[in-house]
Amino acid sequence: MTRINPEILQRALLREKAARKQAEKILEDKSKELYLITEQLRKANKKLQSGLTEKTTELQGVFDNLVDAYVLMNLKGDIINLNEAAKELFGYDVSEEKINVIQLIYKDDFEYAINSFKLLISKGFFSDYIARVNTKNKGIRWVHINASIIKNSNQKPIGAQGIVKDITNQRAIEAQNKKLLHDLEKSNEELGEYAHIVSHDLKSPLRSINALINWLREDYESVLDDSGLKNISLIEQTLEKMEHLINGILNYSSINNTDLKNTDVDINSVLQDIINTIYIPNHITVTSLQRLPTVKGDKTRIQQLFQNIISNAVNYIDKETGTVSVSFQENQSHYIFEIKDNGIGIEKEHFDKIFKIFQSLGNNKNSTGIGLSIVKKIVEAYEGEIWLKSEPKVGTSFFFSLKK
Amino acid sequence: MKGIVFTEFLELVEAKFGLEVVDKIITAANLPSGGAYTAIGTYDFAEMLSLLTHLSSHTNIAINDLLLVYGEHFFSVLASSYPQLIDKYENPIALLSSIENHIHVEVRKIYPDAELPTFEIVEKAEDSLIMLYKSSRAMSSFGLGLMNKTFAHYNTNAKILLEHLKEDGTEVKFSITKN
Repeated sequence: MTRINPEILQRALLREKAARKQAEKILEDKSKELYLITEQLRKANKKLQSGLTEKTTELQGVFDNLVDAYVLMNLKGDIINLNEAAKELFGYDVSEEKINVIQLIYKDDFEYAINSFKLLISKGFFSDYIARVNTKNKGIRWVHINASIIKNSNQKPIGAQGIVKDITNQRAIEAQNKKLLHDLEKSNEELGEYAHIVSHDLKSPLRSINALINWLREDYESVLDDSGLKNISLIEQTLEKMEHLINGILNYSSINNTDLKNTDVDINSVLQDIINTIYIPNHITVTSLQRLPTVKGDKTRIQQLFQNIISNAVNYIDKETGTVSVSFQENQSHYIFEIKDNGIGIEKEHFDKIFKIFQSLGNNKNSTGIGLSIVKKIVEAYEGEIWLKSEPKVGTSFFFSLKK
Repeated sequence: MKGIVFTEFLELVEAKFGLEVVDKIITAANLPSGGAYTAIGTYDFAEMLSLLTHLSSHTNIAINDLLLVYGEHFFSVLASSYPQLIDKYENPIALLSSIENHIHVEVRKIYPDAELPTFEIVEKAEDSLIMLYKSSRAMSSFGLGLMNKTFAHYNTNAKILLEHLKEDGTEVKFSITKN
């Protein structure tokens, strides 16, 4: 082996030393960098940790305070956790005994439960599951369940959670309400029929009395003095009024929102028909202030509604020139009509009373006190409201809304 | 250029030609670093060029031939440092065609400042591969050395043709056919 010049070795050594120092410097810088990064990571980690703790506490709070039962299970259906409400409902404590969700399903609802479970797996959730469950202490209960799949950070399903609501009592109440409603409908119907029959039966003796009175007048006109004839006249008037009354009751009882027809009704032609039908003295005019709309409804009822209000207005006008005007406004859901007159007006204290059956304010011979109660019933059948503004001696405005 | 390229180079020169030659080329090259290199450092490529030039004139061996030998040596350095990277590939063609899209991606994760050549795949078949080498370093022979040893690693060999698309060697077409 040839000897190497010591100077060469020395230079090689110096290079090695320099290289080592470089390496040490680089490593020193790197470890400083690493230290700083570690510090940052530690801070970030701490922040994450406190965020996680916060979220966990929040979730725990939700879990504990949830009024509805909360059930957590794995994909095999083994129940992992139940909140207090769930323990109370099902009667089980998973820390004491192992429970699988299959055990809780009521046997007749099994197929439905399995189908819902399949939906849960394929779609990730199901909602509005309504079925029966077996409980430890409360027997069979009706429940409503919304459930969803829980996934891990890799989006892999690891379990399922369900919010369970005990609807047993609610269902019982609903069933009871349904029965009550049915009974109510039935008794209403019976009442309507009863009123109808009674009115009919009352009309026939009324007609006989009317005929008998006529005969009395014809046969004894020469015998009776003025006072006797006057009394016969009064009997006739009273009979007429009574017939109006009975017709009114008949009318009232036959308004039923279940058998309302639903056709296009042009209020302009309805108004024209009314003007042609009812007696309007020459000094009174009935007009519309604008082109009126076409509404959906039963033509007879709608006409009855307008006619009753308009003829009331005509009957109670005391001015030399009488006006009755019809106008309307509309909003998104309703037409609001106004029928305005310059009649005698109504005192505020009577506003409620006038809509009640058999209530008539004046002594008008055509007034039975049924008209406005029929009006109210019709308006209500069309999901509307009726109200009025009035100034005694100046006039009255009736307002009513009809659903579009 | 990464320090490991310098340290491995000087070790190879020492092993092949002796410490005196190392001393001589370093002294002659008059390098800013003084020839003191650590594998974890980064140095100017001009220093490598200077060392190669002086070694070439001292030994009368062409620079490309020196680079070829160095490339063959460097494969063993990589193979012992990153065996799992090489084991991932079933055959040499698969490995070579992954340089651009996989191996260099991994290299950049460890050395974000690394200046790497590109190996664009022009044509790839089961037993052949045409790649376009592009690098301002013009070190295609170094690449050839690496490729030779890649095939040797899988106990095969190949015919590799180099075609200089630019005279300065910054763009070279590699046509590789497995024997």
